[in-house]
Amino acid sequence: MQASRARLFKEYKEVQREKVADPDIQLVCDDSNIFKWTALIKGPSETPFEGGVFQLAFAVPEQYPLQPPQVRFLTKIFHPNVHFKTGEICLDILKNAWSPAWTLQSVCRAIIALMAHPEPDSPLNCDSGNLLRSGDLRGYYSMARMYTKLAAMPKKG
Amino acid sequence: MMPDMESNHHLNRFLREEDQKPLQHLPYTVLKEADISQRQLDDITQVCSTLSVARSAAIILLRHCNWNVSKLFDNWFDEEDEVRITVGLFKNPPVDQFSTYGSFTCEICFETFPGGDDFDDQRISSTFCDHFYCRACWVGYISKSIANDGLGCLSLKCPHPCCGAAVGEDMIFVLAAESADKDKYLRYLLRSYVEDSYRKRKIKWCPAPGCDHAVDFVDYVGGSGGACDVSCLCSYKFCWNCNEEAHSPVKCDTVAKWILKHKDESENTNWILVNTKPCPECRRPIEKNQGCSHMRCRAPCKFEFCWICLGPWGGSHSCNSYLQGVKNESDKRKEVAKLNLDRYIHYYERWVANHESRQKALVDFQLVQDVHLKKLDRKYRQTNPILSFITEAWLKIIECRRVLKWSYAYGYYIPKHEHGKRQFFEYLQGEAESGLEKLHHCAEVELEEHINADKPIEDFIEFRTKLVQLTVLIGNYFKNLVRAMENDLPEISSFGDYWSCYICTYVNEGSATMCVMCSSQSPVHGEV
Repeated sequence: MQASRARLFKEYKEVQREKVADPDIQLVCDDSNIFKWTALIKGPSETPFEGGVFQLAFAVPEQYPLQPPQVRFLTKIFHPNVHFKTGEICLDILKNAWSPAWTLQSVCRAIIALMAHPEPDSPLNCDSGNLLRSGDLRGYYSMARMYTKLAAMPKKG
Repeated sequence: MMPDMESNHHLNRFLREEDQKPLQHLPYTVLKEADISQRQLDDITQVCSTLSVARSAAIILLRHCNWNVSKLFDNWFDEEDEVRITVGLFKNPPVDQFSTYGSFTCEICFETFPGGDDFDDQRISSTFCDHFYCRACWVGYISKSIANDGLGCLSLKCPHPCCGAAVGEDMIFVLAAESADKDKYLRYLLRSYVEDSYRKRKIKWCPAPGCDHAVDFVDYVGGSGGACDVSCLCSYKFCWNCNEEAHSPVKCDTVAKWILKHKDESENTNWILVNTKPCPECRRPIEKNQGCSHMRCRAPCKFEFCWICLGPWGGSHSCNSYLQGVKNESDKRKEVAKLNLDRYIHYYERWVANHESRQKALVDFQLVQDVHLKKLDRKYRQTNPILSFITEAWLKIIECRRVLKWSYAYGYYIPKHEHGKRQFFEYLQGEAESGLEKLHHCAEVELEEHINADKPIEDFIEFRTKLVQLTVLIGNYFKNLVRAMENDLPEISSFGDYWSCYICTYVNEGSATMCVMCSSQSPVHGEV
């Protein structure tokens, strides 16, 4: 408990320092609970998520960093490895490939990388995975783009 | 006192022959925990000395090759560098970039440790890489892995995400938080030797609960699908092929079907058996929930009958007087489903009965060994008869109960149209069963009489002759039964569309309703 709190506090300080260094990630700690974090990440360029801003919710367990944080998308996203309804993310480093040397910041970076490189063979969103697996890149792109515009971009006008 | 010399002579010769029978060579070895450890240690030591590596490195290498020493040597001498990289035993760990002085920050807890006396004590890497973490974080990392990763803790890696450096036994032992963790790690190491073994399907744990033995089946070829009984030192017998309790000579797939069915229906069937009687009219099971014997079946049957005699309830019903040979002929209209259930219950009841009888026999046999044999020994000490015949009879009973139990599963699955086969099988089974009952009775009840009552030695010798003869006889009956089940009665099934008369054995054509020779009824047409 004490160890996780101390580590999160260190991460918090690190985040304050690195804010400028990584403009794609904005990590915010809950005012009253250091185990609850949210993050805003920018959709990577040259993907259907470009220009969108996606919100992530972190729930950090007391055994952190020996155990991984639970992360999910709060913003709706059409991606093979993200559950369309719950926002749950299928990413190995959040499950069995977790290492205590990862940080919340590096988890965000890994999620951005996952957005750019989906793994259609282990899909949480089967519709999205099937589009990619059947080679319908255009279909995938336009669906993902539509949801990015609907959910992750400021409404115009 | 002169015992019957003649029979005694035969008896002793019989017993001697039994004793002198050479121990059958078993195709498998039961390994105790110490044996497994010893084998594992031998392998590890061999690798240590041949490759000049430490014990912890040898463990990592052997586990990578599924404990196959020769494969490890082949790989190692072909591609040592590649093997080292794969398992994380780097030859030259990258040079420590930090200076030995100044401070050090742990990448897990982000704590900074000042230089000084305890500097090196806090700065720990996996010895194969230059990723340093503080002692407290290492302890947490290791204990979490031992607690959660199962056998995976044996291939623990450096916490750095991009580093594959191995964390070996030596390091775990230094840093394990509690001695319980060390014990757990050693248990996983032992389990790994059996469960990760390259000799898959040739070495496995005894499935009996609480048993620590493993069985090494040296010559197992597999693939045949046939039953293959293995007897562990804990006295549990299991089938090597399907891991169920021993069921030879019945085949594994028959047993699997039976167990599945038994899981589905046994509870219901049991309850019905214990608590109900079938309505004599519609065969629906009825539970008696009121005191008087006047029963009325539910609509649409509405049959009224007596709970005791199951006869119809007339105006002035009475079943107090004994009448010979009165049969109720009203149960011709059985439903097919009900028939099937009845049929299943028939076999299941006998399967259970033999199972329980065997369990009881196991307990009784223990008592015989612990108490009765000693009593008998004291009682007849002067004449000093050999008492091993009692042990043999009991062992025979226990084994035959097992075979008989599974023979009911076999019988249940004999295809309906193969009447000849079933008839012949049931004949063998019947012989075996009634014989076994005699033997069981003799070993159970009559033995008791000899223990408790003060009988002369002649009586005991007579009892001995009887029990020995029964044991041999029952042995032969069961040999026949086992052979029939093993061969699946091919000689019978080859009859095809014929049936053999059970009175005169004449082989009739399938369509004949009566035996051409003796006019007895065909079992095909005679059966319900």
